[in-house]
Amino acid sequence: MNNLLLDPIDIKTVLIVVLIVAVISVIFSLLIVLVSKLCAVKEDEKANAVKEKLAGANCGGCGFAGCADFAKALSEGKADVSMCGPTPNENKAEIANILGVPFSATEQAYAVVHCAGGINSKNKYDYIGNESCLSQALYMGGKKQCPNGCMGNGTCERVCPYNAIKVIDGVAYANKALCEACGLCVKNCPKKLVELIPKSSKVYVACSTYCKGKESMDNCKVGCIGCGLCAKNCPEGAITMVNNLPVIDYSKCSGCKTCAKKCPRKCIKEI
Amino acid sequence: MAQIILIIVSAMFINNFVVVQFLGICPFLGVSKDMKSAFGMGIAVTFVMTIACLITFPIFGLLKTYQIEYLEIIVFIFIIASLVQMIEMVLKKFSPTLYNAMGIYLPLITTNCAVLGVCELVIDEEILSILQIETMNLGYAVLYGLFAGLGFTLAIVIMSGLREKVNRLPINKHLKGFPIAMITACFIAMAFYVFALI
Repeated sequence: MNNLLLDPIDIKTVLIVVLIVAVISVIFSLLIVLVSKLCAVKEDEKANAVKEKLAGANCGGCGFAGCADFAKALSEGKADVSMCGPTPNENKAEIANILGVPFSATEQAYAVVHCAGGINSKNKYDYIGNESCLSQALYMGGKKQCPNGCMGNGTCERVCPYNAIKVIDGVAYANKALCEACGLCVKNCPKKLVELIPKSSKVYVACSTYCKGKESMDNCKVGCIGCGLCAKNCPEGAITMVNNLPVIDYSKCSGCKTCAKKCPRKCIKEI
Repeated sequence: MAQIILIIVSAMFINNFVVVQFLGICPFLGVSKDMKSAFGMGIAVTFVMTIACLITFPIFGLLKTYQIEYLEIIVFIFIIASLVQMIEMVLKKFSPTLYNAMGIYLPLITTNCAVLGVCELVIDEEILSILQIETMNLGYAVLYGLFAGLGFTLAIVIMSGLREKVNRLPINKHLKGFPIAMITACFIAMAFYVFALI
């Protein structure tokens, strides 16, 4: 075999080599074509029909590998339509119709960040390191003095497939118009500051601290001090105080915005 | 009969593909995180190895008659790749359960060096002295492929079982995950080396 390179090239050998390799490749390619024709499997039509109706964002918010995978799981009854955020309600109703399952419309939601700290709140230390909130949270719970403050490293910004959430002045803000409620930011925030609320809501609480009044005043210029004025003044009784924080029940909220006006720290924000 | 037993023991233990010959290390370390997927990978590799031996051995005979044995690697790679494609399609049609069990591992096997390794090994002349046989024939080649695959399965299942156990131990932080897997693999390899010493 080593001699082959030294010998003058024999045209006959070359021809035989080319011929044999060509014959083998033609045989195998024909076999592949034949097998693929014989063994063509019909893809699940139901899954395809469901996939057509999905939003097609491939955001992965449902926990599956993409819209195709989610559609497959739906058609096999392993998933629920409500797990998808971006798909509009009419399409969800149609999907439920295809699958033959009952469907109750859920209101379109969007993400809000329960923090307005950023440059308004004090830092414990300067953070220089990996640009990820998760890494920063490992060092004494992040650089903010407030234990529940947004660290502003922008993990939510990077995971958002719609560019709907942005860090401005050290704190993340969600854009209502762009948000499709896939819930990736909710899952990835180490401080659990992001929440999905109904699109029709008029106010939200822009603070998550459970610190008592004085501590909160010390930490941040816009932190909730747990005074409870919003809960006392709400005409609908939609606000309750839990752990020094107001919690708004959006099913009762009428959108009068009294709470936002009464809040001495301006941490209930109008939308 | 003695020869068949020798082939089985040699392929599975003494010359185990992963821990003695160091072929197919990537799935050995990559797919051994849990036992279920390790077993699926092992069975898929066994299946492809057996069929690859069955096809490539006669083709090598053909190459030999025209004295172009130097083409073996090109032809074998190409045969294995198309074979895996065909097996995948056939399985999808006739045995969806089997396809679901090893479906995602089949495309990975296309480029697995253990499969090409077994095809190269059964046509090698060295193997005749190892197995103490006069000439290699198709039956022996297929048998060798089958038990080499089972040896691979054995090694990867042992590895995954150990890794599952080791992950629950309080190990030093710096050793967690991949480093401890390498150390585990080292101990498995040492255990298998004993077979060669007997």
